Amino acid sequence: MKVLNKYIVLVILAMFGYSCGDDFLDLKPPLNVADDQFLLTLDDYNGAIAGAYDLLQDPDLYGRYFILIPDIMGNDVKQNASANRGADWAAYGGGATTTQQENREFIERYYQVINAANAIINREFTPPSGFEDQYNQVVGEAHALRALAHFDLVRLFGQHYTFTTDASHLGMPVVLEFDPEARPVRNTVGEVYNQVVQDLQDAIGLMTIDKSDKGNAGSVTREAAQALLSRVYLYMEDWDNAETQATSVINSGIYSLVDSAGYPNQFLDGNSPESIFEIVFSATDNVGSDHIGGMYKSTGYGDYLPSQDLLDLFQAGDVRSTMFSLDPNLDGGIYASADGLGRRVDKYPSSGASIATDNVPVIRLSEVYLIRAEARAKKASPDDVGALADLNMVHMRSVPSGTPYAGLSGQALIDEILRERKRELCFEGHGIFDITRNGLDLVRVDCTAPAEVCTVTYPDDRFILAIHQDELDANPNMVQNPSY
Amino acid sequence: MKRKLLLASFLFIAIQLVYGQGRVVSGKVTAEDGSSVPGVNVLVKGTSTGAITDLDGNYRINVTDDAVLVFSFIGFETQEVAVGSRSIIDVSLAESLQQLSEVIVVGYGTSRKEQLTGSIAVVEADKIAQIPTPTFQEALQGSTPGLQVVAQDGAPGAGVAIRVRGIGSINASNDPLYVIDGIPITAAADGISTSDFDNDGRSANPLAALSSNDIESIVVLKDAASTAIYGSRGANGVVLITTKSGKKGQAKVDINTRIGFSDFAFNNLLEPINEAQYRQLYVEGKVNAGDFATEAEALDLYEQQFPEAFAGEADTDWLEEMTQIGVTQQYDVSVSGGTDNLTYYVSGGYFGQEGTVVNNKFERYSTRINLTVRATDKLTISNNLSLSYFDQRGITDGTRWQAPFYLAYLMSPAVPVFDDQGRYYGDHASFYMGGNNPVGHLHDDKREREQSRIIDNFSVAYEVIDGLTVKSAWSFDILNIDDFIYGNPRYGDQRNVGGQSQEATVDQLNWLGTQTVNYSTTLADMHNLDVLVGYEAQKITTDQVDVVREGLPHPTITGVSAGANPDPPSFTSRSESSFSSYFSRINYDYNQKYFASFSVRADGSSRFGPDERWGTFWSVGGGYAISEESFMQGVAVVDYLKLRISYGVTGNASLDDDNVDTDNNYIWAQAYGFNNIAYDGVPGGIPQLIGNRLLTWESQENFNVAVDFTGFNRRLNGTIEYFVRTSSDLILNRPLSRTTGFESQPSNIGDMENRGWEISANGDVLEISDFTLNIGGNITFIENEITRLDEPIVDGTKRREEGRDFQEYYLYGWAGVDPADGSKLWYTDETKTEVTKDRSDAERFYDGKSATPDFFGAFNLVASWRAFTLSTQFNYQFGNYVYDSPGWVIHGDGRFTPRSTSKWAFENRWTTPGQEALFPQHKWGNRDGVSTQQNQDRYLFEGDYIRMRTLSLSYDLPTSLIGRAKVRNARVSILLNNYFTWVKDDDLHFDPEQTINGNYNTVTPINKTITFALNVGI
Repeated sequence: MKVLNKYIVLVILAMFGYSCGDDFLDLKPPLNVADDQFLLTLDDYNGAIAGAYDLLQDPDLYGRYFILIPDIMGNDVKQNASANRGADWAAYGGGATTTQQENREFIERYYQVINAANAIINREFTPPSGFEDQYNQVVGEAHALRALAHFDLVRLFGQHYTFTTDASHLGMPVVLEFDPEARPVRNTVGEVYNQVVQDLQDAIGLMTIDKSDKGNAGSVTREAAQALLSRVYLYMEDWDNAETQATSVINSGIYSLVDSAGYPNQFLDGNSPESIFEIVFSATDNVGSDHIGGMYKSTGYGDYLPSQDLLDLFQAGDVRSTMFSLDPNLDGGIYASADGLGRRVDKYPSSGASIATDNVPVIRLSEVYLIRAEARAKKASPDDVGALADLNMVHMRSVPSGTPYAGLSGQALIDEILRERKRELCFEGHGIFDITRNGLDLVRVDCTAPAEVCTVTYPDDRFILAIHQDELDANPNMVQNPSY
Repeated sequence: MKRKLLLASFLFIAIQLVYGQGRVVSGKVTAEDGSSVPGVNVLVKGTSTGAITDLDGNYRINVTDDAVLVFSFIGFETQEVAVGSRSIIDVSLAESLQQLSEVIVVGYGTSRKEQLTGSIAVVEADKIAQIPTPTFQEALQGSTPGLQVVAQDGAPGAGVAIRVRGIGSINASNDPLYVIDGIPITAAADGISTSDFDNDGRSANPLAALSSNDIESIVVLKDAASTAIYGSRGANGVVLITTKSGKKGQAKVDINTRIGFSDFAFNNLLEPINEAQYRQLYVEGKVNAGDFATEAEALDLYEQQFPEAFAGEADTDWLEEMTQIGVTQQYDVSVSGGTDNLTYYVSGGYFGQEGTVVNNKFERYSTRINLTVRATDKLTISNNLSLSYFDQRGITDGTRWQAPFYLAYLMSPAVPVFDDQGRYYGDHASFYMGGNNPVGHLHDDKREREQSRIIDNFSVAYEVIDGLTVKSAWSFDILNIDDFIYGNPRYGDQRNVGGQSQEATVDQLNWLGTQTVNYSTTLADMHNLDVLVGYEAQKITTDQVDVVREGLPHPTITGVSAGANPDPPSFTSRSESSFSSYFSRINYDYNQKYFASFSVRADGSSRFGPDERWGTFWSVGGGYAISEESFMQGVAVVDYLKLRISYGVTGNASLDDDNVDTDNNYIWAQAYGFNNIAYDGVPGGIPQLIGNRLLTWESQENFNVAVDFTGFNRRLNGTIEYFVRTSSDLILNRPLSRTTGFESQPSNIGDMENRGWEISANGDVLEISDFTLNIGGNITFIENEITRLDEPIVDGTKRREEGRDFQEYYLYGWAGVDPADGSKLWYTDETKTEVTKDRSDAERFYDGKSATPDFFGAFNLVASWRAFTLSTQFNYQFGNYVYDSPGWVIHGDGRFTPRSTSKWAFENRWTTPGQEALFPQHKWGNRDGVSTQQNQDRYLFEGDYIRMRTLSLSYDLPTSLIGRAKVRNARVSILLNNYFTWVKDDDLHFDPEQTINGNYNTVTPINKTITFALNVGI
């Protein structure tokens, strides 16, 4: 027994000798890779750019609010009785507060996209021989996404480009590299646009792989960057450049307008021949009712309804007017349409098992035609014939039984183009931007918002959002927008 | 050698005292077993003349003939002897059972109560048995000063929040460390499961695995002297739970059964309005909003939206429909006993509770086997094994759809519960509250948790030589949680997606190896020394799997795999954390009069970057038993008096960063994240963690000084304690400009201080023949101050700012209702001189109101008369304010069309010009040009309360009656919990106790319970 006891002591003492080495404390996270261990291979770059697109998918950006909020601030939609999400922008009450969460999310999420793009753009990397095109494509996409993020930010938080003659009014900070200590000042709108143009031009120069090589319109290509650049020039009222870029896209021969029969499903199915760049939503991304469609559908939150102002713009036989569904629960009363029937927006119709799989368009060929039409109609020496031709491309494919527009010129032509934009691009996130950049008053005839915001005269400080208080607190160099 | 000199000089002094008086008496003091007793105080009664026995128990003292000698020593009955003519008086002291000091469990060992230099509180099993819920933590309520114990949620199996001496951290955890039989275990519900089941940790409690019937004692370690041995995890205090063990002797069988009935404890809960009242509000609100010119027109819309109610077929009291009398049943059997070589405790138990909300349930099955084998005189092997399983059916709470105590007031009484097919009504889907039917969800939806837990502690101890013990303990805690949440496809939030089903599991393995050497000795009979050295390694591996699918094919199919559509894509994670630690403690006392303790622990943690991984924590403590000095012997009222003082540094490594969507174990790393990042079929990553390689644990300096006293023939005892707890290097998310792509960076950037007084006293006030009465109480005064914070942080209703209480509210000042037009008024700023109707013209300000109470505590009373025992405990809290988080919605004055409200709001709303009203005019869409009505002091109330926590009456059946049935003892009791509550604020409409941070969040109200119990021992 004594011997046994000695062994027991020895064993117990030996346990003291055992102590865990350094690697016992050196544990690796299962879902993270250290920054300096990433962006070392071309595969890493493909993963990094996928991450940037994934960020754009967020319900705060192209998943929902960036598409919703410009529209509910405009006059294509009206609030349902139950409207809650975003209701403060619709009512011009909540954009008003500096603590509205989405005002913060816009800033945070878009700069996450910018940060993801900056990492790709700024990291030194020599691609393996023969893979230069792939690498350049990814870097080009990063430039384009950085441009898109800056462009969206400056549209949300800054007045439109021509609000001051030299675009010297407040824009948003241009961020081109990661610095955790940065407390940037707001660049002017002009400076932001310059960077956006520069980035899109860089993107155009770098990218060589087009939509047919990619297989779908889910990522930015050279032509997508040109299309976005034409939109940027349109906002800058640089009509000639807008026309030039639009023409490049149209003449690329890669895209064609879908016919009227195929029109309604282009959003559900995605990747239509006219889609230039869209955010892909698949079953695995499923955001459920937080998808833009959920804001309109009775099977979703159903917070917003089409306004009679918009419905009145459609001619009989317009395929686009079929993209509304009836909702008997809304019949009669102020939430119904003029004919007493309740209507819902059905542009993003996915439901049931495949809910929230509608791709969200960023830019389509029909918009490029309308950009060119507007540029041609507005440029120093207007090209009314060209503008009408572009307008009719879009008009006639949706109303095949109708008659082409003819004989329009000057303001009448411009007004029709802007109406066509509403018919074509409603619920795609253009509403308030098209109103303000044209210097128009916001007029809502079929209005369920508080009476004082059924008409908002241009210009108005409330057409842009407030900088969120958290950003003002964290960054003393950040200046609040007027009236907030 | 030095020691001997010291001793000699003491003896010399003792002898000196003796000289100079007339006659000398000498003698020897022995214990009952004949051994000599050194250090006994020998005092001439009524004088200050005294002596102390030497190492051999001998004494000499000067006396007169009529003197009476008083012999006293700790652990022995005091004895008085008349001198008379004797010159040699030998005395045999009887050991005092009552005075033998308690052995208290401390970190990595035990201690006798007198030896403690730190601040420690003990809760015994009988107190724990008075708790009618499955969570033993509630037994700590009021048990000791300095402890705030809040049962946040009245749902069965819900969580309990505990703060030891205030809030020591802003962002890291404030929960104490829980150690069961030596194993630090996972206690926090929040974040362990990826599902929503636990409602941010409120509604679930991993510790509910433990049957309170198996607990021998709970010890709370409060100051550094007692917690520093737990190093980087000791900063929030430590709760040590010791389970029962067998004692040598015949097998004892104990059977406990109880049944209880519960209802809401608080009498002033909000009441919903009825259909007539709602209809009135509806049309009134429409006209006030300008939607209709007349109420008649508005009524047409009402008819359209609520046809059943208009036809008089619906008048729903949603609260009534969702609630019931709760029933609790508990059955426990245990057997314990032992021989010289083996002691055992074996138990099995069932606990079942039906909540006060329909279908809200908790059922637990548990068993335990605690064995100790003395294999030889020197070798002891023990194993404590517990297995438990519980099945919990929960509810949604907070300000969310389907939360019963939210929707009870927001759901229109005009919506019926059932449709004309007898199904739960869902036809309001397109216009009202997402078509939620809160009653239906309690029946048609599922929200379930199953938790299995195995905790085992195996140890081998070997006594190498007398006093030197080597021990190796190996423990594991296997925790398995399976959450199942199902939302039906027909109505409610999940109808949008065709129903949703979720299964989320957690598998956690926590293993711990502790190797210690303990040496305990008494040198020269006076120097008691206890040395502990140890090494410990711990690793916790947590695996999580979470799958959700939407689109379920059939109303009775709930299985996840039947769903068409994954949402979000399945989540799995395996995350690990580890600790590697060296520790030591030395306890020394001289003759049980002077005490010193020293402890140190070096902790390495995987949760920090390689450069900041190791930290050292330590404490020193001292004690001085003044009453053992000879000069105190004449003070008759004092039996025991001791001064304690301690200082030390502990740490807080419990990162709890809920702002970052990542694993809390790795927030120091700068890294890309890959959790469900994929676009168009391509997997990807995003810059996700900003990291901070310099991040390290929060540290905490603790100072504690205390006086313990026992007096009046041990009928009165108490403690007065003062503490200062200074937290530094608090981990905060330092806000960054969001233009960096991040909102914040975790950094060690704050300091905070908690200081306060703790006073407790307990007395046997009356002892008259068969009747005894004991009264006790405690009180804690605590002050909190943030002592360093570079930039204020607004956090919901509060703002953290240097120089202020951490929990001070920062709100818009509500100035009431304008009698002229019923509109809302706010003060423009803190001067409260100007009011405005436009809240965007108002500023938030501090108003000296905090969620931190000025003082809190408990008082209790135990009376016994023959076989009857009556005991009661009251808890109280004063000076704090509580905020009604859902107030801005439930009392939104029509902000959300067409939600209902409370009867309180309905009856106190403004309707006519000139009326002084508590609530403004009801107006649908009532936004007044501002977005949100949150963070107003309109929803802030005084939180002062007194609550009768327990009242129990028990009767022990007489032995004459039960003896024949061979029953050892039998006791019947009636127990009332929370039967009486007083609050100061008449406008407070929720239970004052349900929040630890001041923000009430629409949880299940706390219950009052009446329990009938029968305990039989065989």
